[in-house]
Amino acid sequence: MTITENLFENLRLELRRGCLTLAVLAQLRQERYGYTLRKALAERGLEIDESTLYPLLRRLEAQGLLASEWREEEKRNKRFYRLSSDGEQIFDQLLKEWQAINTSINSIL
Amino acid sequence: MELLDRYLQAVRKHLPWKRQDDIVAELKANLEAQLEDKEAALGRPLTNEEAMDWLKQLGSPLQMAAPYQTQQYLIGPTIFPTYRYVLQLACTWAVVINIIVSVIKIATEDNTSPAAMFGALQHVPFTLLMTAAWVTLIFVVIEYAVAHSKTKWMPPTAPSAGWSPAELPPLEKGEGAGQKPRSFAHAVTEVIFGFLFLAWWLLVPRHPYLLIGPGVLYWHASPFQLAPISVLFYWWVVGVNVVQLAWRSADLIRGSWPRPRTAQTIVVSAIGLIPLGLLLSVPDHAYVLLRNPALDQARYGAALTSINLSIHWSAAVICAITVLRLVWEIGRMSLDAYRKRAAAAQ
Repeated sequence: MTITENLFENLRLELRRGCLTLAVLAQLRQERYGYTLRKALAERGLEIDESTLYPLLRRLEAQGLLASEWREEEKRNKRFYRLSSDGEQIFDQLLKEWQAINTSINSIL
Repeated sequence: MELLDRYLQAVRKHLPWKRQDDIVAELKANLEAQLEDKEAALGRPLTNEEAMDWLKQLGSPLQMAAPYQTQQYLIGPTIFPTYRYVLQLACTWAVVINIIVSVIKIATEDNTSPAAMFGALQHVPFTLLMTAAWVTLIFVVIEYAVAHSKTKWMPPTAPSAGWSPAELPPLEKGEGAGQKPRSFAHAVTEVIFGFLFLAWWLLVPRHPYLLIGPGVLYWHASPFQLAPISVLFYWWVVGVNVVQLAWRSADLIRGSWPRPRTAQTIVVSAIGLIPLGLLLSVPDHAYVLLRNPALDQARYGAALTSINLSIHWSAAVICAITVLRLVWEIGRMSLDAYRKRAAAAQ
């Protein structure tokens, strides 16, 4: 990888990081487990690696933004996540912030 | 699927041990669901090669497990600015204290040979290393404690409500730090006073009252006289002043007086160390002698030793200050040169 490609990759990852959190929180307004969440995001054009998404869910839960529970579904135990009440509040604030940034960027571009 | 179980087993080894079972169970459920989807799409189980390709896409077990680790660094970005500041402060003070202790040790042990001075300097890198290691260790412990505490901690460098711009330190002297360049009048005054000082200093041997005033009468009547080393010291002082004056006069003629004088200060300080070194290397600290040792030794011997020791200690302290100043100026010049090179490279 050249220096320019490496730089682009770092900046791309930086740009994606916050957006992924917002997308995950948005999708978890409805309860899902890891794999179905990944599929739902991919269907909307946002591919996330397993090694990024699953630890992200753990971090968001540790921060109190998500709540989770183990439940059996289709003869298999799965961990289901959904937005917590704190998560809902923060998601609303983040969404407003995102929309403001998006509007500003669009006007700048 | 055996290959998936082997993969998860390898992932487990890199996970935080408290949460291994929980994370592996969740990963297993997610990956098995993904595998079922793949097999359903193909209408058959994956072949060994396909399964290996799929696991390769997931990343190595280490890659998969790494993001689950809570702390990936010893000193994180929150605490790092404070760490760097404390490290600089501690290392600077460690070197200063080390040099002062070495100078005192050399003076008290009465060993001013170059080997003894070099031996004292040899301790500096070890002192720096130990200081840096202890500061780093303390901050690693603080980082760990902060990362594992429930309450949120703000570093001292973070902006706070109590901070006031009035507390900012005054502008530092030096190039690029807000100091005005020397004016022409200032440069001319320096040269004039330099000539006056040199003329006065050259007249002192013939007219010692210019240096000690009426004390010259007591000096002539006293049983003491200066040792031959004083002549050599005197001419070295003349030499240092001639070099400094010539340099300043050349600056004035070339019109370069407003420029910083770091190089000049370094050269003059280095030359100035030679007469001080001469004084420190005098055997038995014999700067002042008795005119008639056979007659006066019993009466004035103790006073003579005391005078010579005072001169020796004064020379040692001045020498230490000059060395520190020299090191400081060299460091500053190197830093400026490095900054300029870095700026030019960018």
